[in-house]
Amino acid sequence: MSHDLAIDIRNVVKRYEQHVAVRDLTLQVPRGSVYGLLGPNGAGKTTTIRMILDIIAPDTGSIALFGRPNREPGLLDRVGYLPEERGLYKKMQVRRVLHFLAELKGMRVDIDKRITEWLERLGLRTAERDWGTAKVDELSRGMQQKVQFIATLLHDPELVILDEPFSGLDPINAQALKDTVLELKRRGKTVIFSTHVMENAEKMCDAVCIIARGEKVLDGSVTDVRASSGRRNVALSLGAGERAGGATGSEAGRERLNGVGDVLSDRRLVRRFDDSNRFFEIEMAPGADSQELLRRLIDAGAQIERFELVQPSLHQIFIERVGAQGVETGMSGHG
Amino acid sequence: MDKFWVVAKREYVERVRSRWFIIMTLLIPALISGTFLVPVYVAARSAASPAARNIIILDATSAGLGARVSEILMVDTSHASGAAPRPQVRVVQPTELASAEADATKEVMRPKSVLGYLVIDDSTLAGARVRYAGRNASSLAETDRLRSAVRQAVMMVRLEQEGVRPATIEQVSKLPLRMPRVRIDERGRGASGQAGFFLGIGIGVLLLMSIMMHGQQVLRGVLEEKTSRVAEVVISSVKPDTLLAGKVAGAGAVGLTQQLLWIAVSAWLITNLAPLILKTTPAMTGDMDTSAVGMSFGGLTPALFIVVILYFLLGFVFYASLLAAAGAMVNSEQDAQQAAMPVVMLLIGTWLFVNSVLLNPNGGIATTLSWLPFSSPIIMPMRMGLGSVSWVSVVGSLAVCALGCVFAVWLAARIYRVGMLMYGKKPTMAEVARWIRYA
Repeated sequence: MSHDLAIDIRNVVKRYEQHVAVRDLTLQVPRGSVYGLLGPNGAGKTTTIRMILDIIAPDTGSIALFGRPNREPGLLDRVGYLPEERGLYKKMQVRRVLHFLAELKGMRVDIDKRITEWLERLGLRTAERDWGTAKVDELSRGMQQKVQFIATLLHDPELVILDEPFSGLDPINAQALKDTVLELKRRGKTVIFSTHVMENAEKMCDAVCIIARGEKVLDGSVTDVRASSGRRNVALSLGAGERAGGATGSEAGRERLNGVGDVLSDRRLVRRFDDSNRFFEIEMAPGADSQELLRRLIDAGAQIERFELVQPSLHQIFIERVGAQGVETGMSGHG
Repeated sequence: MDKFWVVAKREYVERVRSRWFIIMTLLIPALISGTFLVPVYVAARSAASPAARNIIILDATSAGLGARVSEILMVDTSHASGAAPRPQVRVVQPTELASAEADATKEVMRPKSVLGYLVIDDSTLAGARVRYAGRNASSLAETDRLRSAVRQAVMMVRLEQEGVRPATIEQVSKLPLRMPRVRIDERGRGASGQAGFFLGIGIGVLLLMSIMMHGQQVLRGVLEEKTSRVAEVVISSVKPDTLLAGKVAGAGAVGLTQQLLWIAVSAWLITNLAPLILKTTPAMTGDMDTSAVGMSFGGLTPALFIVVILYFLLGFVFYASLLAAAGAMVNSEQDAQQAAMPVVMLLIGTWLFVNSVLLNPNGGIATTLSWLPFSSPIIMPMRMGLGSVSWVSVVGSLAVCALGCVFAVWLAARIYRVGMLMYGKKPTMAEVARWIRYA
């Protein structure tokens, strides 16, 4: 059973001088899945990842990779890691950096061939220019990020751990990353990434774990997590004209839309809503009827483009379950 | 172990490929051979350059004193190669001396002409005074040579007047009298004293410089890994202790390579250039033993060489691991210099005592410093170059130094392990102490 798990974390605790970074965390990541580790800044995501990689040791509890303790020599060679804070040896030639990092992962054969393949695949080696022979600091930021991806994946790891992979990526590199993650999944690899951007997690992950203040809030497959609340939210889109007239801020918009605003602010009808200007995700008040809400909105003169009963998004669940107090302030961001 | 080699290999290859390494490898031998060769050159030049003979001698005596002075000057340096100019002896009447001097002055003032003129008169013959005017009047060595030549000439003339046979006088005045010096210590007769001095200082400077420079390189490397944030990727693949060990080993191998190149290139430069210098200038008359320079390398016996290498390795491991820990503690170059200060002070502190070690290689300070792990890698090989040290104390000191290294590496690994992932403000001493306790 346990060998079907890529990662098996049991009752892990990590305390620091001033605070507890991770308290009694237990989570399992099945092989071949794309797993999201979600949580606000300072929740303990990076600490957890560093413990998985045996960069830091937990105070108590155990961590197993592929069914074996993660301290076992050579086991981490099967893992690829992209840290949140990225960097490479600036004065070193790109190929030599990649060669070095692959060797550190125990790779001994075909290194140069694989480097060439990856450089070509990510457009760093073309007919005009081979960036592989350039020094790292001659590359643009985007290109350095690509080199860092290559370093993470060059040794063809079975488990890929990405810490906040989307932070600082331009849309093109972000798309390349998503494609890569999906391709890894197709090839049977396990991918775990941490993020606080729920949209990415919702679209890409098979399963997620939400942690806050070092504790697991909930985990499971994305479908299960979304269904877990047992209720439906209203997804509402308004026509573009509703917010026309130069008003961009939601305060100003609400003045023009007194009617819609009043309806949504009615606490008997709506418990809370998430306002994305033209798109709203609305959580109904207990016992309230969504048809009633639709009627009231039409009465208020709203131009409705979409009115749909949906399962709550991860974002909604996250806000609901973690809450404002889940975000500890003043922390390093390396939680 | 496998990853240790990967780290060490990267460290070695990247450093040896760097421009810094190539420049230092060529520059330092130039400096070392320069410090050996310049004194030789200066001594050789000031000893008796043929130019010193390019003078006019105004002889206002009737005793032929000027001719004798000229002869003595020629004899003094006659074994020099090349066609050396002869002094021009002009015998003048005492009454014409003033105008002869005026003429001579004009000649000296012409460029590329004679260097100066010597005035010999009756007061010279009486042993009272001789005058010299010329371009090289400020050269002590050259004017001393003139004076002793005149002294000798006066002596010969006086002895002649006293009735001593000219042949006897000739014989007595040409005693070559060289004085090679040999040091004697408890093991017997050793190399020349000067050779030992050069060897001792050479070894000390070499060890201090390479430990300092390559240690600083390790610090900079650690800091670069930290500030560029590459450390986290690396540490996810290799344990920090292995990383630290690999880095120190790689950089140490670079230092060793560089030292061997330094010694080889300097030895080549000195052995090939010293004869050239000595050929173009007349040999010295025995005050300075020119062979000292060559012999200082001859004094580097295989046993001493191995000991120097061992001390370099131990000293390097000691300082480099502590400097690596200093680099891991901080996040900027400025903070790094500050954090490295206590470590660098140990090295500089050692250097401050070098003078007293040179003066008294077997004194209390020298003996104490050759047992302390932080100073023994520099002081002990120096003392061995300067004189004799018993093998028992060398082996003992090496053992103590190795123990010191074990402690330094242990301490450094603990600081390094925590420090590498610590960003933000510079830790206080109390915090570092906590890292050491809990790591």
